[in-house]
Amino acid sequence: MTGLVPMEIKIGHHVEREWLGMTFNIDTIISTLVAGVLVLLLGFWATRSLTKDTEDHVPTKVQILWELVVGEVNKQVEDNLGKVHPFVAPLAISLFFFILFCNWLELVPTEINEHLHLLPAPTADTNLTYALAAVTMVSVWTYGIRQKGVKGYFKHFLEPFPVLLPLNILEELIKPITLALRLFGNIFAGGIMLALIGLIPLYAMWAPNILWKAFDAVIGVIQAFIFALLTVLYFAMAGAGHEEHESHEEHEDEQRKKKAAEAAAVSDEATPVPAH
Amino acid sequence: MASVAITPMEQNFLVPNGTFFVELIAFGVLLFLLGKYVIPPINRAMTARQEAIRAEFAELDEAKSEAEAAEEEFKSQIADARHEAARIREEAREQGAAIIAEMREQAQTEAARIIEHAHAQIEADRKAAVTSLRAEVGTLATTLAGRIVGESLEDEARQSRVVDRFLAELEGAS
Repeated sequence: MTGLVPMEIKIGHHVEREWLGMTFNIDTIISTLVAGVLVLLLGFWATRSLTKDTEDHVPTKVQILWELVVGEVNKQVEDNLGKVHPFVAPLAISLFFFILFCNWLELVPTEINEHLHLLPAPTADTNLTYALAAVTMVSVWTYGIRQKGVKGYFKHFLEPFPVLLPLNILEELIKPITLALRLFGNIFAGGIMLALIGLIPLYAMWAPNILWKAFDAVIGVIQAFIFALLTVLYFAMAGAGHEEHESHEEHEDEQRKKKAAEAAAVSDEATPVPAH
Repeated sequence: MASVAITPMEQNFLVPNGTFFVELIAFGVLLFLLGKYVIPPINRAMTARQEAIRAEFAELDEAKSEAEAAEEEFKSQIADARHEAARIREEAREQGAAIIAEMREQAQTEAARIIEHAHAQIEADRKAAVTSLRAEVGTLATTLAGRIVGESLEDEARQSRVVDRFLAELEGAS
């Protein structure tokens, strides 16, 4: 493997343009736009064929897809936040669909022995995952401060013991980094796998290609799901305990942390990240 | 140090560059569009369908209770009708019995009247017959007796006496 990499594969290589003294990865931006447009098309297709006005209320297929996600996210948000929050639910839904389409872009095939994908997944670029994590965590912190007040929110860092302050701060900083890098790592690894499979001679390549792309499709769903779920759980953790009983809140908070940790563990196990 | 560090930094894919801001804006736009134009209608549609289902269930319950009420009413009406029919039957039986009794009475009255009439008729006939006999039997008997005894019984008074005596004997014997 180490012998192959210098020959064909350029890891983390992007088509770059300089503008305003900053570097822009054009390929990532293009595939982001493609994914975003696809999500919007699907969304507007669903709303155009909405059945709320018809007599029998039978949903169309696209509507069922959206209702599945929207319903599930609404349920999660309601379970964890106590109500369907007007910002958290759309955020999680948007994250899910956007990440899902970004991840799946990689599955679109191209000419043989190129990269095996027409567009690189924009989620295989840390710029996108950092951006999503930043949106999530800034929203989470804002939500937490709004729910508990500035004093109440920062008091939470001294609980259960003041000694744990550094750990609590560290936790808040690790959350966005893990969010971003988990998604990036999984999808990036998928891209590397595709590139490696592309090095296999054509007569033998199709089998691992199909298998890996099928697997990658599932990983794409899982990663999108994990990102959206963790977002909801982080909101829940940030807003926990502002009205509830103290011990009850602690218990719930712990449960949420446990759930989040489990979800993260599941997602990390899902992809065997190749060495790089 | 800085100039040395820049070159590898640019190639390190873990460090974000300007793309970060583009992605931030792109996702912001996506979130705005989805949150404003896509998700609310879907939520509304879901709520509307749940409402419709709930309404249909409520309607179903209502219809069921209505059907039960109708059945109850039907049963009570059937019972009423049965009761009514029994009452009418009973009344008819009573009326029939009354009619029969009345008819019987009428018939008996009629029969009594006819019998009475017949008796009166018979009596009248008998009287007429007796009168007629009285008129004729005297003549016949006198003629007969005259012929037998050869004695003229032409005397009016005697003749009447003889006939009367005979009839009186006859009546006394009977």
